[in-house]
Amino acid sequence: MILLDNVTKIYPKDSEPALDNVSLHVDPNEFLFIVGQSGAGKSTLLKMLTKEENPSSGKIIVGGIDLDYVKKRHIPHYRRRLGVVFQDNKLLPSRTVYENVAFALEIAGMSNKEINRTVPKVLDLVGLLDKAHKFPSNLSGGEIQRVGIARSVARQPKILIADEPTANLDPVTTKEIIDLLKRINDFGTTVLVTTHNDGIVNYLQKRVVTLDHGKIISDQKGKGVYRLEKEDPKNKRKTMPKVDKRPLHATKTKTPPKKKIIRTI
Amino acid sequence: MEKKSIETKRNTKSHLKTLTRNGRVKKLRTTRRVVKYGTAGFVRNIWLSIAATLVMTITLLILGLTVVANIVLSQTADSIRDKIDITIFFKPQTEDGILLEAKEIMAKDSNVKSVEIANSAEEYQRFLEENTDNEKLMEVLADEEMQEIMINTMQSTMRVKVKNVDNLDSVRNIVEDNELFKANLDSEKEPTYDVNRTEIATITSWANIAKNGGIILGIVFLVISILIIFNTIRMSIFSRREEIKMMKLVGADRHFIRGPFLVEARICGMISGFIASTIGYVGLIIFAPKVVNYGVDMSAITNIVQSEWIIAVYIAFITIGMIIGTFSAKLAIRKYLH
Repeated sequence: MILLDNVTKIYPKDSEPALDNVSLHVDPNEFLFIVGQSGAGKSTLLKMLTKEENPSSGKIIVGGIDLDYVKKRHIPHYRRRLGVVFQDNKLLPSRTVYENVAFALEIAGMSNKEINRTVPKVLDLVGLLDKAHKFPSNLSGGEIQRVGIARSVARQPKILIADEPTANLDPVTTKEIIDLLKRINDFGTTVLVTTHNDGIVNYLQKRVVTLDHGKIISDQKGKGVYRLEKEDPKNKRKTMPKVDKRPLHATKTKTPPKKKIIRTI
Repeated sequence: MEKKSIETKRNTKSHLKTLTRNGRVKKLRTTRRVVKYGTAGFVRNIWLSIAATLVMTITLLILGLTVVANIVLSQTADSIRDKIDITIFFKPQTEDGILLEAKEIMAKDSNVKSVEIANSAEEYQRFLEENTDNEKLMEVLADEEMQEIMINTMQSTMRVKVKNVDNLDSVRNIVEDNELFKANLDSEKEPTYDVNRTEIATITSWANIAKNGGIILGIVFLVISILIIFNTIRMSIFSRREEIKMMKLVGADRHFIRGPFLVEARICGMISGFIASTIGYVGLIIFAPKVVNYGVDMSAITNIVQSEWIIAVYIAFITIGMIIGTFSAKLAIRKYLH
């Protein structure tokens, strides 16, 4: 479903690459966490999947589309194939919950009839049907995030990308959001979630890819494969998460690792 | 490996072709939605909309005023210039036949607009009409003998109006070189082109100032107004830049993002055009008669205001408002679309 082949991204003003020779393959219907400290390259990776940024080298194929061939004028059409949930709740403040969700369908040129049929179903899925006509300013953080999820899944995308969807949310709401993403994944959608919340990673026990300094340092599945270490505010990128350092091919197995090896680098 | 790459390229192209296919129905639907959201945006951001509308109304009023001032000044100058004529004096009691012949010669000149002749008797009548208020003079002229003396001594005249008051050489040449003129001109009274020269020069310079100044002022006001409106709209767009970013990320195309802002700006322009032309219309009805008292020629403007042409003026103002709005909004949003 998603293929990154030796992808490197170097921003013009940076000396170090934001992503360094990253190769990753995500199967259809997979649930994948991308974890890592701030500055590890998670956001850059997502930005390249949404074609906000282009790789300096390497190849990215999403849902059969080679992003090298996606020209500027094709970008909106390409993005409509993806569902994207943003960390900072990017909703249209002057539109109601219903209109925000409908917006994703309107830009795709769907008829009003189709929209009126789809939006209530999606709002029901995220449990916000009763708040359809409220404005974002009247919703809680968790509700706003659920509207964001509703909007991103309204077009029934095959891939859902969520950038830190539980940032700034309390534990109960976080669990609700993660359960919602899990349900969406159960419907057959490939879900990519970036986070540095080890609680949700361990709660779901799905595949976890750990990034550090723009490199994949771990790719495995199971409980306890990622444990957050407190960041050093003075030097964010020098502190690394504790990870299982087994070779990548060994982590592709479906069974969780028998022995947890957690090392500090 | 190469085969696989070619296959991926082919797949990508076919996917993109399917994605970008957009029927006429979809386009119509999108346009309808753009108008709907533009209108809703105008209402929901009512204070910004009011501010932009007010600025645009003032701009249109200034523009309208500049155009009206230009027309009125030019017309006033033209009408004053039109009143100016060159008077050529013939000997008293010159025969009508000679005057007619002289008229024909003068009328042939390409710079001459019209020629009027008057023999001594007609000139005396004109003199009487001009001095009806002068009772003492009327008393003197009541005497028949006096009348006869006056008619016998009054010069016959030729009044010439020219197309270009700046160039009187051709008229001067006829007066000085033509034998008929030379033989019959009154040697005591020179033609009046020198008398009117300063007056002609002043009026010409005023007319030019009115014309050129109007154009320059119009352009200056237009640029200032576009800058003001551009900044007002940019403020509105700046406060919604996150919205624009989000729209782009969920896959809205340029037309869908820019459209509502353009619709909002056009609504502003439309309302401003209507308000500005109404204020202008009412203002002209109230103030035109007062200005006319000062000798200003408002006939062209009042003719427009009082006829069905006023509808065209409304349409013109609304169109200009919409064009300025569209242009400013396009300029303001361009930065956030890239």
